[in-house]
Amino acid sequence: MAETNSTDKENQTHQSAWTQSISTKDQVKIIARVMKYALPFKSYFLIALVFSAFLATINILLPRLLQYFMDHFLNKGNTAFNIILDFAALYFLGTVLKAILQFFSNYLYSMGSEKTLENVRLVLFKKLHTLGMRYFDLTPAGSIVSRVTNDTMSLMDFLAVFASVLTGLFAIITAFIAMYTTNSVSAWIVLGFLPILLLAIWYYSHYSSRVYRHMREKLSELNVKLNESIEGINIIQEFRQEKRISDEFEATNQDYLNARKAMIRTNSLLLSSLINLLYALAIVAVLTHFGLVAQNQFVEAGVIYAFTTYVSNFFNPMSDMMDSLSSLQDGVVASSRILRILDDQTYAPAQNEGAHGEIKMGKIEFRHVSFSYDGKNKILNDISFVANPGETIGIVGHTGSGKSSIINVMMRFYEFYEGQILIDDRDIKDYPMSEIRRKIGLVLQDSFMFYGDISSNIRLFNQDISDEQVYDAAKFVQADRFIEKLPGKYHARVIEGGAKFSSGERQLLSFARTVVTDPKILVLDEATASIDTETETLIQEGLHRIRQGRTTIAIAHRLSTIRDAEQIIVLDAGKIVEMGSHDELLAKHGHYYQLYQLQQGQN
Amino acid sequence: MGIFIKLSWFFKQQKKRYIAGVLFLLLADLAGLIPPRVIGVLADLMNDRQLTLQLLFLWVGLLALAALVQYLSRYGWRNMIWGGAATLERELRTSLFSHFMKMDETFFQRHRTGDLMAHATNDLNAIQNVAGAGILTLFDSILTGGTTIIAMMVFVDWRLTLVALIPMPLLAVSARVLGRRLHQAFGESQAAFSRLNDKTQESISGIKVIKTFDQNQPDVADFEKIINKTVRINRKVYRIDSLFDPTTSIIIGLTYAITIAYGGWLVTTHVITLGQLISFVSYIGALVWPMFAIGRLFNVIERGNASYDRVAELLGEQSLIKERPGAIEALAGSSIDYHVAQFTYPDDQQPALTKIDFDLAAGGTLGLVGRVGAGKTTIIKLLLREFDNYDGTIMIGGKNVKDYTLEGLLSAIGYVPQDNFLFSSSVRDNIRFAAMDKSDLEVQAAAQQGAIHDDIQNFRNQYDTLVGEKGVSLSGGQKQRLAISRALITMPEILILDDALSAVDAKTEMQILENLKQERHNKTTIIASHRLSAVVNASEILVIDDGRVVERGTHEQLLALDGWYAEMWQRQQISAEMGADQDGRD
Repeated sequence: MAETNSTDKENQTHQSAWTQSISTKDQVKIIARVMKYALPFKSYFLIALVFSAFLATINILLPRLLQYFMDHFLNKGNTAFNIILDFAALYFLGTVLKAILQFFSNYLYSMGSEKTLENVRLVLFKKLHTLGMRYFDLTPAGSIVSRVTNDTMSLMDFLAVFASVLTGLFAIITAFIAMYTTNSVSAWIVLGFLPILLLAIWYYSHYSSRVYRHMREKLSELNVKLNESIEGINIIQEFRQEKRISDEFEATNQDYLNARKAMIRTNSLLLSSLINLLYALAIVAVLTHFGLVAQNQFVEAGVIYAFTTYVSNFFNPMSDMMDSLSSLQDGVVASSRILRILDDQTYAPAQNEGAHGEIKMGKIEFRHVSFSYDGKNKILNDISFVANPGETIGIVGHTGSGKSSIINVMMRFYEFYEGQILIDDRDIKDYPMSEIRRKIGLVLQDSFMFYGDISSNIRLFNQDISDEQVYDAAKFVQADRFIEKLPGKYHARVIEGGAKFSSGERQLLSFARTVVTDPKILVLDEATASIDTETETLIQEGLHRIRQGRTTIAIAHRLSTIRDAEQIIVLDAGKIVEMGSHDELLAKHGHYYQLYQLQQGQN
Repeated sequence: MGIFIKLSWFFKQQKKRYIAGVLFLLLADLAGLIPPRVIGVLADLMNDRQLTLQLLFLWVGLLALAALVQYLSRYGWRNMIWGGAATLERELRTSLFSHFMKMDETFFQRHRTGDLMAHATNDLNAIQNVAGAGILTLFDSILTGGTTIIAMMVFVDWRLTLVALIPMPLLAVSARVLGRRLHQAFGESQAAFSRLNDKTQESISGIKVIKTFDQNQPDVADFEKIINKTVRINRKVYRIDSLFDPTTSIIIGLTYAITIAYGGWLVTTHVITLGQLISFVSYIGALVWPMFAIGRLFNVIERGNASYDRVAELLGEQSLIKERPGAIEALAGSSIDYHVAQFTYPDDQQPALTKIDFDLAAGGTLGLVGRVGAGKTTIIKLLLREFDNYDGTIMIGGKNVKDYTLEGLLSAIGYVPQDNFLFSSSVRDNIRFAAMDKSDLEVQAAAQQGAIHDDIQNFRNQYDTLVGEKGVSLSGGQKQRLAISRALITMPEILILDDALSAVDAKTEMQILENLKQERHNKTTIIASHRLSAVVNASEILVIDDGRVVERGTHEQLLALDGWYAEMWQRQQISAEMGADQDGRD
């Protein structure tokens, strides 16, 4: 039960990130940490930002050009048409330059973001490969996948926020400089609107993030319900709950609509409409000022044109900025979940430093090994045994006796803290992990198949294994019989999880996978899945062949498999209760004898 | 434009909302015409030194008024039109959902969950876009475009307007072309994303194999290859996406250049004033969005139309299971007479069942055994009326199952399916799923019968513990026992266990079977099982292979027959003793 509860807790922390609100200090910390992964691509961002600064400059130079044109040529009257044409051409050239800058600044920034995103994915994926099996036991696969694929996605939006804020700042600064140099008093008047604007932005981001979060929660609730109702449709229909479930769905659907309408209201009230209002009011104030000045002094039309354009430049980027702020929250939440994986300390067991041993003989010794998954309940208790090179050790015992755990510690999937495991009389931790993996071949009960074809499933990623070796391995375990019948034979496609193949066929392929690596030591976890008699015979034969000349630790469910083992260990509640050869154990009239009697009685 | 006609039912239903929305839009557009003109007028007045204080405040007051009207009407149309889109999405989602609830097994075999989800999310989104962005751009381009062009002609000069507008249609064209290409590139990008997703999924699921064969490094290398490919594909998306702004800039730039040249000429020749030129330049700015929107409108319509057709097709499919008029509303008894000569799944060639006949008296227990895929579940599915297209008759209580209402038939049957699907609600609500009015005591009693009560007591929040992703993760055996309790709570006349004890250990299985015997005398039970120990006490056991009955009889008779059943029995006795090793972590 302890196991279930810890999973329970793990799940809750995984799921509730959405609803937690994170303090500003933590938000900044999270952002700073995630941004480090953008550093390798800083040139993309820097160039994009430089371009965007140039862009802001052009945006103020173009109106200035028109202003000059109006005040110095159009106001004068009888200007030659070719001068007018020159100005038109110059203006057009300016916009071409502007377009080029726009393209590169957008494109480079997006590519920088894309590369950052993929970099984070790779870092995450690499990190996952360093984590121990315990992590994977505790975390649902679906949530890990979603961290790697979906959460990283929100980083894109996150970076987009920075882009819009920085571009906005450039525009505001350049617009202000332009206004200031045109008419300083009016510039200060416009700047007077900035506090109101900042207040609106602050209020919006504060208020909208709440509304937005609520809307997102409702949407995900809606989709979860939809998904669940489709998957559970049989149950719903069989138990005649269509109406209740529909009503519940309808309630959520309505909640979502309300949340969405609230979001629309907030946006209509505060977003671009408000910016537009403030812009118009700023124009009113500026024109009033110019109008008052004009009572005593000459104000040129070009100045009015240029200044009103700058005011629009000043306000325009604001709505973009505000809009993007709502996704800031998404990014922080997603980043915090990504960082949680990167910070996870559930590492795979490590070898001693400078480990460099080589397994030559294949002798295995367990010395007083005890092990527990959660640090509390001992699953293995004081296990000691020796397997000499070439010998077979059979392990039998009831469900829960600890059989699989012996494999788990020996394969270094989990760290044990008491006792010692020796291979060729040397501590297992003094061999590099790759040596252990290469020399100890594990045949798993559940033979997972990868997307690809038959031969890629036998050789896995190891390109050093030739086609010949693959065929030989398959032949050796007699998997060739069914492979030869497949369309495309060794190149027959394997889809998700090997659904096309029976569990017996998968088992044979898994044997071939092990044989092709030619390990010194073999660890067998006999499958319990029911397999038809013909395949069963093939499997037994295959097992027998693989064991030749290898030290073997075999967990057996059928005593016939290990009858000829040099030693048989009988496990009960994590302890060795009997040990000896088949005949010795029979003579004892103990646990083994009972098991044997039972199986004999049946046969 | 066909999509607007297809959606006309909705626009009629929301007539007031959309009329108000369009009126607000018109008001906002009209108010939007004022500022450029006022700026131009004031510029002229100042340039000509003719601005009096009175005139100044008059014009500036008008400007302030326009700003206020614009703000309010913007708020109005946004709420109306975007709200309408949200409402449409909700309505369609409701009809899809209630349609799903009504559909039969055939439908769900043809459409996978992922596809149905995609229809209910992506397609609905594309359709609601028509009622939101579609309506907006349609009216906005007509209203804003129309009024602005008229204002340009009236307030400035009609010749200048015609000449300056020449490049404008290019905006619509570029928006259409780029939008289409972006959509295409985006499709590839999504395919790349799902490849990445699949790869991650596979690596996480197969992590033990990867570790066993020391394939961590190569697996990372493979992932990196996929990542690089994704970057390459996304590069295209960003390239097209980054083209939107520059293209607009150049087309607008062209318009400005024409305005400078021709408008400048008109000013120097005193046809128009400088202030009018300034107004004109501002009006061009107001035209950018409507022109661009026309191009986008085509894309919105195209996608919305395709999505609408898909959704309509889905909604048009009918359940093959129909209730007869005047169907019987309550079960006439719980005896089962099952005679099916042949049944073939829709879209399949090979028959799934051939000559399945059995008569089960009320209170009897039928055992169904056989290999995976032999047809045990299919026999049950026909009984539950998931399919009607079989050759033969199935009678319950002496009446054809097709003569009952679905409510009458199904509410008398308690069904525990193979995949024991649970909902992400509390343990309590999962148990009383079929009868939410059951008291805590009744829930507890059902849990005890299903031998799950003790486990629940150990959960953190006992019966309030949430099931599923957000709550406790249950073992296979716990899920099965919960599903059994769920079926038992209504005390059904007929109970069907479809391989429902496979993950439960032998001792618990015995206990549950014993509970059933105690609580369910005189009630009919069907047990399909891979494990023979579950059917030992059945009044009749059918051994199914390849959709046919190959052996039948009581446990003793079948053992004596010394066929498949007898062989399986021996084998399973052995492995039951040795057990699959789970190290107590189940």
